[in-house]
Amino acid sequence: MTHPLSLTINGESYTLLVEPYCSLLDMLRDELQLTGTKKGCDEGDCGACTVLMNGKTVTSCMVLALDARDKEITTVEGLRQGNTLHPVQAAFVQYGGVQCGFCTPGLIMSGVGLLLENPRPTEEEVRFAIGGNLCRCTGYAKVVQAILKAAETMQAQAS
Amino acid sequence: MNRFEYREAQTVQEAVEMMRQEEGARIVAGATDVLIRWRQGAWKPRYVLNIKRIKGLDEVSYSPDSGLSLGTLATIRTLERHPHIQEHYPALAQAATAFAGVQIRNLATVGGNVCNASPAGDTLPALLAYGAECRIAGPEGERLVPLEQFCLGPGQTALQPAELLVALRLPPPPPRAGALYIKHSPRSTMDIATVGVASVISLAAQPGVCQEVKIALGAVAPTVVRATAAEALLRGQSVDTERLQQAAQAAAQTANPIDDIRGTAAHRRAVVAPLVQRTLHYAVQMAQGSRLPFQMQRGLAVEAVF
Amino acid sequence: MPDSKVLGQNYPRVDAADKVSGRSQYASDVYLPGMLMCKVLQSPKPHARILHIDTSRAQHLPGVRAVITGRDVPDARFGNGAVKDKRLFALDKVRYIGEPVAAVAAVDEITALEALDLIDVTYEDLPAVTDPIAALRPDAPLVHEDLPFYEGYKPNMQGNICTVLDADRGDVDAAFAQADHIFADTFHSQGINQGYLEAMACVANVDPSGRINVWTSTQAPYQIRATLAEVIARPMSRIRIIPMELGGGFGAKLRLCVEAYPVLLSLHTGKPVKLIATREETFTLSGFRLPTIVYLKTGVRSDGTIVAREAISIFDMGAHLGAGVQSGVSHTLGPYNIPNYRMRSYAVYTNKIWAGSYRASGVADVTFAVESHTDIIARRLGLDPWEFRKLNAFNEGDLALQGGKIPRNGLHETMDAVKQHLGWPRTAKAGTGVGLAMCQWRSGSGPSTASISLLEDGTVSLLTGSVDISGTDTVFAQIAAETLGMDMSDVVIARRDTDLAPFTGPSGGSRIIYSQGKAVQMAATDARDKLMALAAAHLDVQPGMLTCANGRVFVTETPERGYTLGQLARMSLTSAAGPIMGTASLSAMPFAPIFSTQAAEVAVDQETGKVRVVRFVQAQDVGVAINPMAVEGQIDGGAVQGIGRAITEEVVIKDGKILNPSLTTYLMPMAVDVPSIENILVQVPTDDGPFGARAVAEPPGFGPPAAIANAIEDAVGVRIKELPLSAEKILQALHGELPASTELDHDLLQQLRGANGPG
Repeated sequence: MTHPLSLTINGESYTLLVEPYCSLLDMLRDELQLTGTKKGCDEGDCGACTVLMNGKTVTSCMVLALDARDKEITTVEGLRQGNTLHPVQAAFVQYGGVQCGFCTPGLIMSGVGLLLENPRPTEEEVRFAIGGNLCRCTGYAKVVQAILKAAETMQAQAS
Repeated sequence: MNRFEYREAQTVQEAVEMMRQEEGARIVAGATDVLIRWRQGAWKPRYVLNIKRIKGLDEVSYSPDSGLSLGTLATIRTLERHPHIQEHYPALAQAATAFAGVQIRNLATVGGNVCNASPAGDTLPALLAYGAECRIAGPEGERLVPLEQFCLGPGQTALQPAELLVALRLPPPPPRAGALYIKHSPRSTMDIATVGVASVISLAAQPGVCQEVKIALGAVAPTVVRATAAEALLRGQSVDTERLQQAAQAAAQTANPIDDIRGTAAHRRAVVAPLVQRTLHYAVQMAQGSRLPFQMQRGLAVEAVF
Repeated sequence: MPDSKVLGQNYPRVDAADKVSGRSQYASDVYLPGMLMCKVLQSPKPHARILHIDTSRAQHLPGVRAVITGRDVPDARFGNGAVKDKRLFALDKVRYIGEPVAAVAAVDEITALEALDLIDVTYEDLPAVTDPIAALRPDAPLVHEDLPFYEGYKPNMQGNICTVLDADRGDVDAAFAQADHIFADTFHSQGINQGYLEAMACVANVDPSGRINVWTSTQAPYQIRATLAEVIARPMSRIRIIPMELGGGFGAKLRLCVEAYPVLLSLHTGKPVKLIATREETFTLSGFRLPTIVYLKTGVRSDGTIVAREAISIFDMGAHLGAGVQSGVSHTLGPYNIPNYRMRSYAVYTNKIWAGSYRASGVADVTFAVESHTDIIARRLGLDPWEFRKLNAFNEGDLALQGGKIPRNGLHETMDAVKQHLGWPRTAKAGTGVGLAMCQWRSGSGPSTASISLLEDGTVSLLTGSVDISGTDTVFAQIAAETLGMDMSDVVIARRDTDLAPFTGPSGGSRIIYSQGKAVQMAATDARDKLMALAAAHLDVQPGMLTCANGRVFVTETPERGYTLGQLARMSLTSAAGPIMGTASLSAMPFAPIFSTQAAEVAVDQETGKVRVVRFVQAQDVGVAINPMAVEGQIDGGAVQGIGRAITEEVVIKDGKILNPSLTTYLMPMAVDVPSIENILVQVPTDDGPFGARAVAEPPGFGPPAAIANAIEDAVGVRIKELPLSAEKILQALHGELPASTELDHDLLQQLRGANGPG
């Protein structure tokens, strides 16, 4: 039996009907075709499905859609401002942090989530912050570099 | 994967009443364990009962007199970053930082981890070593159960039908206390513990003498267990290296591990003593006043630093 | 690269902006109206006869639109390689846990899963053989009792032997007799999953004209098309494969895997059908690397010169021919000049899922053996491990295994670079150590095509059929821009599918830059020649007096006399030769080796056995780094894959059942588990690659297991010959309790030694 669900995604309000067993991830992808968020394992182990829920990074495969009621979700699609990439997105592009791209949205959301809590992370802090995001292509070095560079950019923009 | 139904409770009483009236509930908080087991086909609840909307169940409060109160819905991330927990119950913050990854910590709750009652649950050794007590609400009202008597076996707790865990209470920390949790696992993130050890020690006013100690072992028995023989060797004694080693050896005798995908019984047994020794060593240092930065504590907890 | 605006520049990937925005389309992102979801029923048994399949209950479940089994598909076998030993569905018997038995299309996934539970299959158990040594025994149950009737069968495939390869040179027994020292070791490598983050996914839709459209996650669209045509008995021209953005494959997606099921169900139902594999199905529906045993025997002179090697390798192949056995004859010498050798390599059938491809399959296993053995020999002889390797390493002009001579290459430069960068020898503090390993591979060849069209505004459109995995599209754009003297931003990579782009080989085996990139360079050169010819005619000069640069073709001596590329494009529309298009087609490229030297610095916790890699250095000869950032990214990733193989990854299979088909229990390195890799790009250009480039991607994964095993011995004095190098094994070794790794018994070695098969 479906239940009604109202929530905010990337600043827009949505009301829809979902099954109780539908995850937030499946709702975003299958019901709303917000396919930027990826499914890598469906058991919380890879971080490909990471979104921000009320400003905190969560693996959306581990969230019941109904549990997101009245919450604010940010997905990777919500980071761009028009044609301008978010500094974390831009840094991933510039510093070679993207290869196959499947882990990328989740990694970027983890990076964004980190910088919301800690605008000046050390390399070690970056690695621990993305410790729940599996990447099989990059070996992480350029990803870590990109997040550190994005932090610099955002600090410079803030001052 | 069955098609379960969904209910929400707005108060504890409502949750209890719902469970009393309708069978087949599975309480869902963080949802992390529930969704995994459901997708594997291991759990087929008739309905899930979401308790996350119950106000006040996520509160964390501390006072030097009454100790720490953890609402069942307090997230593992909260445990990791809460200044009072870092300061006064460091083994719990270390266990939280060793728990899965940030995303899961933002969802998973301490109550969920306790009620899941996995022998390897990361918060359990620290909670046990800090003498945690469980506050349970049910049809008959509330009752208190020491954590030791709450986890009865893998996946089994002392919760009766229609009961739910609402809070954990940890006694106030004594002076001159220190603690370390180490999780032994192949990686430094995300893994379920192959062996987990938490040692909490407080020193007497007399220098170098142990006032009180609790050593809890995870993933080496059907539940998390206290190494009571090891503790007895230390209580009231001077905490020199040799004594810590003896205690560590005694603790290894307490372990009763099995072979599973994460490790053999032999390996688990082989690492208990070194991990007990190491956690005691650093706990004593902290008790003697050394301030270990959180990064260092984390490095030790996840074996990123030897 | 002097005077180049484009070569050697760190251009961001041309697809990166879409990927970071979440706009890139992977196969699972395709949604079509009326789409059904497909799930596959898999065998729960490792070896059993199928007595009866009853799908009636499943067919009657509301929401189910079709259920198919082996009865509903053409009776055709296909294969991953030379032998056609596979079917889409098990017919008379199942040969591994996970083998497809039926498939369902339903309105959603949960209904499809409920339908699977309603399909009744009656099995009769057969004895299963799940160990390759047991499978080699004369009385072993046969995985394929009809093997002699399969297309591709050869008489040396006796019993459960799937493939036998051999290579000999000189007189190895005489050389052993004359050697001053002989060393023999046996090494065991574990089952490894490729770990691609995007599980297999595919959408199939048959349109009203009967054309079959397949949007899929694949490395090899043309190969998929060919195999699909064969197994569903339809002409290739009726099948269109649209390769979507690829979320990793590493070899797993080189061949037909799951595409046939949605295709067949779409044919049955007339609706689009989608299949998305679960993470568990990346272990049970698609093959991965299975365990390997490598026996090495080496004869050396007292001065350290290697004079003879014998290598006998056994590859557990699972239930169908897969990948890897070749490495037992191509890589068991290592990058060393050994005059006398005897190599035997066996692939053996067992009742498990087939041994799939993973980045130069088998070479990592063999390199673990070879480079561990190399260190063991050096230490026993009292020689420095670096010096011992230097003494024996290939030089230009030495005989190459594949015939001919080793061309100019940077192997020695990579050795020197690591020594210099790391400092060698290193005195390290207690519990830490350093170990070396050398890797070798070859730049991939194979049919490649490219075409470049000039647009009227002076931009170009580049069309190739190859799937972009490693950023090759970006490098192609650089190659085209450099050749045509244009800006990168004026090169557009055309969208591709098998209808639009001409045939090309798969994206794998380190093939794309070297071969496909060469085709791009040739096509761009062809286009440039045509531009110059057109300009020369209009300017009334010889083409040799013109320069093509900065978006123009102009007279070198008088630059103001010339045309922009846009002008030439418009002029070409009415020229005698017609609109300008450059094309190229090639089938084989000359041998261009890839060499790298790696060094791992580790810290070992002597109380728990845990090992951490604290530094990892690698120097690789990349020929010419057209895009250094892309090259580094590739070799970073490969090295970390190798570290995972070395320490934490293992697919655990017991009696044919995979015990850890999940990321909770199959453990790949995360960001906190590895250091930043230190890369040194050595550049010794090839004669034939585009601008001298070599292939890059695969070698970095070969060396880490041996480098780390060698570093552990350096650190704490224990030698482990079985992967992974777990805390348990290290602690056991430190306590003197490590069980001796299984050696191959004397009789078996004798049997396997005989050329062309046993006996």
